[in-house]
Amino acid sequence: MARQRWLLGFIISLTAAALFLLLNPILKSGTSPFRLGLDLQGGSQITLQVKPSDTIKDISSPEGQKAVGDVERVIADRVNRLGVSEPLVQRVGNDKILVQLAGIKDPYEAESLLGRAAQLEFREQKAGTEDKFQALFNQYRPLINQETALRKQIKELKKPEDRATLAALSIELKKVSQQSFTELFNKTGIDGRNLKEAFAQPLGSAGDDWQVDIRFDAEGGLKFADMTKRLAGTGRSIGVFLDDTLISAPNVGIEFAQNGITGGGASISRFTLDTANELAIQFKSGSLPVPIEIAENRVVGASLGQDSVQRSVYAGLGGIFLVLVFMVLYYRLPGAIASVALVIYALLNLAAFVLLPGFVLTLPGIAGFILSVGMAVDANVLIFERTREEIRDGKTLYQSVKGGFTNAFSSILDSNVTTIIACAALYWLGTGLVRGFAVTLTMGVLISMFTALTCSRTLLFYVLSIPALRKPEFFCPNPPAITASQSSEVV
Amino acid sequence: MRLQVIQQRKLWWGISLAILVAGIISMLISWKTIGAPLRPSLDFVGGTRLELPIACPDPKNCKADVLNLEVIRKVLDEQGLGGSSVQIVEAQGNKPPAVSIRSSSLDAGQREKLQKTLTEKIGAFDMARSSSETVGPTMGKQLFTSGLLALLVSFAGIALYLSFRFQWDYAVFAIVALLHDVLITVGIFSILGLAFGIEVDSLFIVALLTIVGFSVNDTVVIYDRVREVLAVDPSRSINDVVDDAVNQTLGRSINTTMTTLLTLTSIFIFGGETLKFFALALIIGFAMGAYSSIFIASTLLAWWRNRSGSLVVPVVVGE
Repeated sequence: MARQRWLLGFIISLTAAALFLLLNPILKSGTSPFRLGLDLQGGSQITLQVKPSDTIKDISSPEGQKAVGDVERVIADRVNRLGVSEPLVQRVGNDKILVQLAGIKDPYEAESLLGRAAQLEFREQKAGTEDKFQALFNQYRPLINQETALRKQIKELKKPEDRATLAALSIELKKVSQQSFTELFNKTGIDGRNLKEAFAQPLGSAGDDWQVDIRFDAEGGLKFADMTKRLAGTGRSIGVFLDDTLISAPNVGIEFAQNGITGGGASISRFTLDTANELAIQFKSGSLPVPIEIAENRVVGASLGQDSVQRSVYAGLGGIFLVLVFMVLYYRLPGAIASVALVIYALLNLAAFVLLPGFVLTLPGIAGFILSVGMAVDANVLIFERTREEIRDGKTLYQSVKGGFTNAFSSILDSNVTTIIACAALYWLGTGLVRGFAVTLTMGVLISMFTALTCSRTLLFYVLSIPALRKPEFFCPNPPAITASQSSEVV
Repeated sequence: MRLQVIQQRKLWWGISLAILVAGIISMLISWKTIGAPLRPSLDFVGGTRLELPIACPDPKNCKADVLNLEVIRKVLDEQGLGGSSVQIVEAQGNKPPAVSIRSSSLDAGQREKLQKTLTEKIGAFDMARSSSETVGPTMGKQLFTSGLLALLVSFAGIALYLSFRFQWDYAVFAIVALLHDVLITVGIFSILGLAFGIEVDSLFIVALLTIVGFSVNDTVVIYDRVREVLAVDPSRSINDVVDDAVNQTLGRSINTTMTTLLTLTSIFIFGGETLKFFALALIIGFAMGAYSSIFIASTLLAWWRNRSGSLVVPVVVGE
């Protein structure tokens, strides 16, 4: 009895904790306690397929995987420039990258930006704009430094609130660039496609000064030499624009006035290690090591997602309600207890969604949850049918309930294991939406086993300890009359 | 009520065969006419689907007649998308009537251009309720192969588990029953595809795998009972045992299937477009799962044990 009391207390506190977890965000700020998938909150989901190139023929080889890793970083960098609050960039399989952009205003821009091979441009400052540029750039430079610092911080600390700040800053930088700097520079036709390599390099031996070395292809090298010849010693800058945002404005030394910077390479100096690395990555993000292609793109309007949530919630509540009514009508007292256990099940399951790291609720996920409620009934049905059989065999109520649980266990275990096997296959096959479904279903199966074997059992035995409820007809229609002597015969 | 499953087994087998054959014929016809046994959605063949609901401030009073099919087709023709299919989708919930266009794969620029031209010709669209999907041609093939693979793996996993927990012949007939459920679901969707143009998407594969996971439950429960009764009295004829086992578990089989179907029906009715046919596939599959467990898996096991004689059935270690 002591163990039962203890279990009852445990179940009640578990349920209370789940309720708190679910209701707290709703009451506090009116937001959903779940992380919602794109199909529910609207947004854009883009799957990029990494393609083999001339130099990297096999994506699954170590070099190929390194290239995919580079692409992933580049894409993450581009995504950060989109100004989406909580973007998700994720490797799927060994040659795909999944990008989720929730609540994005312009999905078209996102698609073209992510799929585009190059947005890095080297522009030439117009003559006669030196003073104007200098004044503007002096205001602008702290912003760039701030952005670089933030980027580094995010990489190290992974704090989501910094991401929002960075997104805002990126937008600000782009706006200022477009308003002020675009008109001060001429396009030269040198862009990321011409860039072959970019890497950070220590300058001299001191170690504090770093430079970024860049290498162009033949065409880029010629154009670059041309441009630098014109700019050398004038004090005008090369404008390095990434996605229309000015990211660097190096000058060209007077010594290059004769021929320009030839040889297809250049060094931009005087950086700290971090800024040099950051700049090299940004340069590279204008040129990908392997081509990519948009394999899939799904865009869901924001209100459409809200409608789906609403409809799914109705469907869920409707389904659960019908099941509860059925259970009470058919199985009477145990049915009512199972209904309580089912509600507890639903709460625990939803709380698990909140707690599971990285779990995103999607439409198929909601279907999986609703389905698992129907399934959670199964264990109870197995137990109660068994209990009825035992009652009909003339056993006492207590023995029957006990026998119901013991005898039904092997069926419950087998049927749940087979479901989990199918879920494992689903998880293994799936991406995104499909995985969400497999995870919700698996969790449903596990939690339902717990609630059926623990909650239903504890509650039922608790009820049996109340004499007024200890009547076989509450458990089974037309039970045989039981005499006290029979109970002792039963093992 | 007592079911005589063994006595009437020819009837049950006949019903199953009839539905299976109908499905297979439909798949063959479908193969001839559209080149695939089921009507594949974008997920499998690639392409772009755009759904643009018209903007209307008062959702109860939307004029769907601005969505003129001829005007839309003309725009599509002008943009070299003459082969696209166009449909008018009726208002649903808060979503106004919409035009749904399915075309070859379009990139962002092409989509924007199409949408712009349509807006000029027809009027503003409610972009917050619009949706678009673009799937490249390689994705579909991968989805198909990995889906098939996942099905095979789950079959193998379940067969392995059942031969470990029961005996190998139990496992084989459980798998036969599963194949039966999956094939019938596929067959019915093939018929639905021919008759109503209903397509199968990636969620259909998910549905098939879920059917595999769930409908084996009913079979397991019945087999569990067969094993239990046999253990008490091994000398009883297998026909009697199976009949008993089916009848003793009948209440559970019906009630479990019913409660699951209740929730699925609720998804089917309220769940919205995406989940509608997912729920339908599950409804068919689960209903078939219960049917095949009660009438097919049980009678096949009895038939096999009678034929081979219970003595020659190898006993798996651990039984």
